[in-house]
Amino acid sequence: MSSFIHLNVASAFSGHFGVTRPEAMVEAAAAQGIEAAAITDRDGLYGAVKHIGACLQLGISPIVGVNLAIFNESGEQLGRCIILAHGHSKGKGWAKLCKIVSAAHASRQAKAVKKQVGIARSALAELLANDGGCTVLLGPDSNVGLEVVAGNRNAAAEALEAWRECFKTPGTLAIEIVSHITEPGTELSVLQARRMLQLADASKTPTVLTNAVRYLTPDDALTADILDSARHLEPLGLFKPQPNAQAWLKPAKLMQSLAVEITEDRDRALELFSSTAKLAKLCTLDPVTDCDWGRPKTPEKTALGIEGNPFEVLWQKAHEGIDRFYPRANGSLLTQVKHRLGQELITINKLGFATYFLTVADVAQMIRDMGIRSQARGSGAGSLTNYLLGISGVDPIEHDLLFERFLSVERSSLPDIDIDVESARRHEIYRAIFKRYGSDRVTLLSMQSTYRGRGAMRDSGLALGLDDEQIDEIAKNMWRFSARSFRGALQTKPELAKFAEEVEQDRRMSLLVDITERLDRLPRHISMHPCGVILGDLSLLQRTPVEQSGLGLPMSQFDKDDMDPMGLLKLDVLGVRMQSAMAYAVKEISRVSGEQIDLDAVPRDDAQTFKDIRTTNTLGIFQIESPGQRELTGKHQPTEFNDLTIQISLFRPGPMKGNMIAPYLDGRHGFAKPDFIHKDLEPILRETWGVVIFHEHVIRILNRMTGCGLAKADELRRSLEKPNIKPKIEAFFRVESAKRGYSQPVIERVWSVIEGFSSFGFCKAHGAAFALPTYQSAWLKTHYPTEFIAGLLTHDPGMYPKRLLLSEARRLGVKILPVDVNFSADEYLVETVAHKTSNSDEPSIAVRMSMRDVQSISEAEVARITEGRPYKDTADFYLRAKPTRRTLENLALIGALDSLAAAEATRGDMLARVRQLNAIKNKKALHANQPTLDFSVLETLPTGNPESTKQDQVHAELSILKMDVSEHVLELYRPMLDEMGVLRSDELVGLRSKTEVLVAGVRVATQTPPMRSGKRIVFVTLDDGAGCSDSTFFDEAQSRCSHILFNTRLLIISGKTRRTGVRGVSLMAENAWDIKELWQQWTAKKKTPLAS
Amino acid sequence: MLRVDERVEVSVDRVGEPIGFWWRGAGYLVKSKPIRWFARREWWIEAARVQRGIGAGVLEVEMWRMSATSNNKDRAQFELVHTLDNSGGQKHIWRLVRVYE
Repeated sequence: MSSFIHLNVASAFSGHFGVTRPEAMVEAAAAQGIEAAAITDRDGLYGAVKHIGACLQLGISPIVGVNLAIFNESGEQLGRCIILAHGHSKGKGWAKLCKIVSAAHASRQAKAVKKQVGIARSALAELLANDGGCTVLLGPDSNVGLEVVAGNRNAAAEALEAWRECFKTPGTLAIEIVSHITEPGTELSVLQARRMLQLADASKTPTVLTNAVRYLTPDDALTADILDSARHLEPLGLFKPQPNAQAWLKPAKLMQSLAVEITEDRDRALELFSSTAKLAKLCTLDPVTDCDWGRPKTPEKTALGIEGNPFEVLWQKAHEGIDRFYPRANGSLLTQVKHRLGQELITINKLGFATYFLTVADVAQMIRDMGIRSQARGSGAGSLTNYLLGISGVDPIEHDLLFERFLSVERSSLPDIDIDVESARRHEIYRAIFKRYGSDRVTLLSMQSTYRGRGAMRDSGLALGLDDEQIDEIAKNMWRFSARSFRGALQTKPELAKFAEEVEQDRRMSLLVDITERLDRLPRHISMHPCGVILGDLSLLQRTPVEQSGLGLPMSQFDKDDMDPMGLLKLDVLGVRMQSAMAYAVKEISRVSGEQIDLDAVPRDDAQTFKDIRTTNTLGIFQIESPGQRELTGKHQPTEFNDLTIQISLFRPGPMKGNMIAPYLDGRHGFAKPDFIHKDLEPILRETWGVVIFHEHVIRILNRMTGCGLAKADELRRSLEKPNIKPKIEAFFRVESAKRGYSQPVIERVWSVIEGFSSFGFCKAHGAAFALPTYQSAWLKTHYPTEFIAGLLTHDPGMYPKRLLLSEARRLGVKILPVDVNFSADEYLVETVAHKTSNSDEPSIAVRMSMRDVQSISEAEVARITEGRPYKDTADFYLRAKPTRRTLENLALIGALDSLAAAEATRGDMLARVRQLNAIKNKKALHANQPTLDFSVLETLPTGNPESTKQDQVHAELSILKMDVSEHVLELYRPMLDEMGVLRSDELVGLRSKTEVLVAGVRVATQTPPMRSGKRIVFVTLDDGAGCSDSTFFDEAQSRCSHILFNTRLLIISGKTRRTGVRGVSLMAENAWDIKELWQQWTAKKKTPLAS
Repeated sequence: MLRVDERVEVSVDRVGEPIGFWWRGAGYLVKSKPIRWFARREWWIEAARVQRGIGAGVLEVEMWRMSATSNNKDRAQFELVHTLDNSGGQKHIWRLVRVYE
């Protein structure tokens, strides 16, 4: 009885049940010297691939099963059972397990077992009839176990007999003996286990011993309590909790004493150990032959509609692309293109990935045929093949991108090609992919979200039965720290000071901190991956279990990290709102003016576009609208497309930490002479003034100085991040570069750059792929601002609230028309308006506010309103559009009904009218059987109500639309701000450095980026209608205004200007105040005459 | 059933099973094989801290049930709680919690 294999082990991927990650569980098992480890998650194989991977790494054998609810024919629960797949069966056991799990989720849709995941016993039996493939374990949670606890010996025997009737194939049924040493006579007690054993022996059913493991150590039982609370959605104490803390991964010795305690017979205990070992052996998987581990699976030729050799088809298709994409190529370029394509195709063929490329090209073509904007992103943009197949829109030769960064024979994992598409239409694409390749070959990808700070805190609060509002209040102040070190953060974060005091005084708050720390990082729930689609061959559903996604399409239970090990091809079809916004703008341009624009064909060197970017008014432009990017734009002053690629790549945590930005800017603006270290590196680093920014730079330098070839160089670059391999690379680099005649000082300096670079850089192909929509959106903003703003408001692609886009629209001079039930739609339409004030007859265009953002309005209401247009007056609107009372009032409050009013009516009259109509509705409800309306009420129009003030209007707009439409909200406080001498944000750029100023505005962004020093810095961006101002709060300033730093919306900030570049200026904040508070004081002072 | 909560002195055998105890001035001899199990505590009501690594002692407690008699009394069932006091050496603490007469 030396070793013991646990056959019932729930990992943390058993949602809200298991506590320990599979890797940790496997590591502990291996440390105990056990030759195999099992994972049996609840309702799925969510942790299985990670478990197998960990087993392979530690050289032990994996066993995989599932913990499922079983139902009888009439839909009654027969309890939960473990189902283990048999191994070394050429995939039979694994495939059956996948089918069983998928079936358990599919039946969720059936009426009998509503919502609960589980499988009918008959269906399970049918799957295992004839040739077996899995073993079902009847344990303490099964109906047999429950009858035993209830003391119904006969009923238990009958229940067991029913199971035996169903599972006659040898090896498909066993009894699971478990004792958690609970109170005698209760579930999981020694007594229950002993009686189960007697029952099994009497019927000659095989038995196994397990510990129904939920966690690695006894200490984890506390975490399990909290997960139980989250699963039950009830506070602790209001549901039946786990009986004790015995469900841990007990070592063999303790399992041995359990066996003896249960059997009261050493021989029988030995037998129990050996039958457990026997089943473990039967279930030991060979990942390669059982799970098809690591073998790439791509759709069959027939599914792609190709005949003959896939490589030949790929060769032909790619070469056809040359004429299309390089129509005017001269001799040398053409040679270059052909040579490079040849090289790429050789690599692709060697790796056997031709079908993969054809598949991706097929999907890309399908998306284009659907008329949806799309663009490849990531390292895939470095491939000429991708460009020629129409997968990527960036020319890798023009932008000097490397194929080897994307794919090489040195690496055999499936490459990643990500396609960005219009977000609003991505579900259309998913459905089309399912239709094209069949749901046997396609599933969506899933992802496991994990507990992070605020989520962990909310569920912890629930477990302790704390008040929701109290929790929300604390959660609001959880900023940028890992909940794992919550208690530490209490001492150091000023905004948590108040809460820290409560923790001192209130025991429950102290517990809250402890259990929040425990929950942090645990898997929380599974959901659809936002963009992943798995494309496989007809064996797909034998390799992965699937369940229904929120979208209604099947979704694999594996996540993105499981793809490569399982040889599954994942295609990221990522919805990008900016693509939708741009497509919308182009559509509106064509609808209103008839002009057709092909964004992808627009020349990428438009001077006006770059001029506008350089003003730093980049709100709404892809990738460069954040406060940090705006500041960088001010310093960098881009003039061409490649500058955008560089700027996007520079603004990453790596280059910022690696201090690459300053030397680059110094070189660019001529403040410092670029240092290329050696003349051989000059051609490589000329574009970035000697600064190593891109992965491609490192690859080229390594290749240039060692002659190792680009593919090998990329492998070296990747290995730089692995500390155990790095010394080898260093030795190789030093020896080889010395051989090629580089001097020691040069070698020394280059190595220190490369070493420091390791994790910092960015893939240039990725940067270039990002730069394309950046340029395109900037171009639209420059030349078609109205249509572009309409697109932004409709698809909301950016990081800022919509009200800031309106502010930007006003700054650009784009006209905004208010919500009007006769004109507004569920999108932000571009409208032609006749000039009334200016002399020219030329009509101008404006953005009409959409009804979509009106609070409380439903899609159905918007549709009804749109359908019934035009309306001649309020009563007409009320009768035909049938808005709810709240919607009607909201519409009136924001002026959406103004056009229905008589010319002399005020907004006040309109509101009175609406309330009058709503009153009819009330009456109608009282006399439901009286269908006719009281038309006399409809005909009396209220008059003489006061016009609403500007202030009322703006407040109504903000509360109902979350946007200040008629004017900037700050205008309401203008008298006070003027008196205080508050500057407008566009005045800052003209000031000297270190000028003391006051700025004001609406908070639009708060950021706490990682800093080299490790100290926390808070950036606050305010919008005041003239643009944005950015303020930096260091420690001292943070503590001065910690109570309003993160939450207050309207702020005045005092500080000193700090010039950062040609057009770059920011504020070193000293203090901040809440405008509303100051306003109250100010108005109070105005009312009382000054005493002296 | 009588609910009590009193510290008692317990004698155990080599494997740690109780063989006798002193309660309210009387000596009791264990007359059946004692049964041990683990019960749980409502730590969310009692505990001050539950940080990672604090151990299962906050959550669970070892229970013993046995028949025992004293000289002049009838046999009764007793339930004892067994805990370890970790502060300063491993001290065994036994409390009598229930008596079924």
